Amino acid sequence: MQDDVRPALHEFVVKVNEPVAQDTYRLLIEAPELARTIAAGQFMNLQVPGDASHILRIPLSFSCADAAAGTVELVYAVVGEGTARLAAMAPGQRSTLTGPSGTGWRVPEQPGRVLLVAGGVGLPPVIAAARMLAAAGVGFDAVVGARDAAHLYERGVDELRGMAPDQLCDCARRVLVTTDDGSAGIRGFVTQAVEPLLAERTYVQLMACGPAPMLRGVAELADAAQLPCQVSLERLMGCGFGACSCCNVELAAGGYALCCQDGPVFDAKEVVL
Amino acid sequence: MSVNMAVDLGGIAMRNPVNTASGTFGNGVQFEGFYDVGATLGAITCKGVAAQPWDGNPAPRLAELPSAIMNSVGLQNPGVAGFVERYGAYLQGLRERGCAVICQIAGHSLEEYARATELFEELAPWASGFEVNISCPNIAAGGAAMGATPAAAAEVMRTVRPLTSRPVLVKMAPHDVAEIGRALQAEGADALSLINTIPAMALDVRTRRSRLARPTAGLSGPAIHAIAVRMVWECAQAVDLPLCGIGGIASWEDAAEMILAGATAVSVGTANLTDPLAAAHVAEGLERWAAEQGVDSITELVGAAEL
Repeated sequence: MQDDVRPALHEFVVKVNEPVAQDTYRLLIEAPELARTIAAGQFMNLQVPGDASHILRIPLSFSCADAAAGTVELVYAVVGEGTARLAAMAPGQRSTLTGPSGTGWRVPEQPGRVLLVAGGVGLPPVIAAARMLAAAGVGFDAVVGARDAAHLYERGVDELRGMAPDQLCDCARRVLVTTDDGSAGIRGFVTQAVEPLLAERTYVQLMACGPAPMLRGVAELADAAQLPCQVSLERLMGCGFGACSCCNVELAAGGYALCCQDGPVFDAKEVVL
Repeated sequence: MSVNMAVDLGGIAMRNPVNTASGTFGNGVQFEGFYDVGATLGAITCKGVAAQPWDGNPAPRLAELPSAIMNSVGLQNPGVAGFVERYGAYLQGLRERGCAVICQIAGHSLEEYARATELFEELAPWASGFEVNISCPNIAAGGAAMGATPAAAAEVMRTVRPLTSRPVLVKMAPHDVAEIGRALQAEGADALSLINTIPAMALDVRTRRSRLARPTAGLSGPAIHAIAVRMVWECAQAVDLPLCGIGGIASWEDAAEMILAGATAVSVGTANLTDPLAAAHVAEGLERWAAEQGVDSITELVGAAEL
């Protein structure tokens, strides 16, 4: 466990809060210190004003931290009362967040291309991973899955396509989209696009975020291809910084880790997905 | 004129009455990024620790309810040796910075309580005192709480008491607090902490399953505050021991209520999750309140409710 994670309380100001897909919003907040310190795959816990009877903060990952502008971009799905209140926050409104929290993505030590896999609102932390890899000169391909075209965060897909090209390889980056109903990209689950890519191209590692069944499927494919796989997990959280032990993740070796502190990014082999 | 905020919780000297409830404050170090814990709080109570490591309960361990949460962490802990190895240096430093450190003892049997106490005695000379959690499930008795009755609670206290000369508090479950409090006083408890979470149930009506991995779990947060105040008041009538009031304290007003009901100290619990600065704000607010009340010492307000 990492006890050196020291999140702080930050005030933030909403700059942009706009719908970008069905039930999906893009939130840009001004939080200069957070923007400077948060690393890809880490998360924050936002307090959404307006209902004191909801006493827990909302844990959210981010897609882009711009240290120069002092802003952080989050893309979130409206799934309940709390995220609905968040969607109603207007530019200029202020609140607080705690962060940066947790252990994020790691750049693979071995040189070579990474395969990124995102499902639903697993996309934002995968965009952050892509930025991290691009900055480190590591190439990647990506598979982005959504329920249907309406729920697809297309701007995110465009971002993945537009990031700095692979320095190590002159072959073009592949960014594939899958939807459950075929209304955009390939019809089917992300695994149906991941499997042929693994057969066709050479990767050193997979990095995935999305619903649990998707992560299980991706981890199985990675295992069959004998490749390491990092997975970013989601849990209900009490504190978000290791104080309450409520967000346990079952370890393959027995016992539990805490998602908020030891994760949210884990080696797929170390956890029970 | 400044008010003397220091209190004595059964032999544990605290610079102010503010403590933290076990399991809601990590072991203190998790809050150092938010404020200077050592310079601010009267005490912290660490997570419950047993002689040997416990895995704790499966996921999910948490559900959110109106003005409350439910948890069933199941006292996941690394055992006394692992706890001391990982947090001992920090906690010793915290004590040196003027914040009392209360270590919580957990066990599934009398033997386990005894072993944990012996290990703490040996490995944690920096601990200001101990809090015995008598709500742990008794494995031999099919999982009922170890201290569910006055006789059972007394037996736990009788086991731990001879093994340490440091102050021993008991964390009491939210029932029969007068009777169990008297039984614990008779066995030499130095102070009582109350209340623990309230056993509760929350169902997902679509899946017909519990919202947590266990059928029942502990309710905490602002929703239980008024119940906790009543129990602290009842216990204060029954015993001649200092009390640490716990239950839904989210503001200095909540803490002041506990003090008026008879608590010498107060623990901030679930509010630490909502607002990591909550305990610090309670400490500041209590000092302003005591000054407004025109007392020289906060202790003059303990049990000072005019009923």
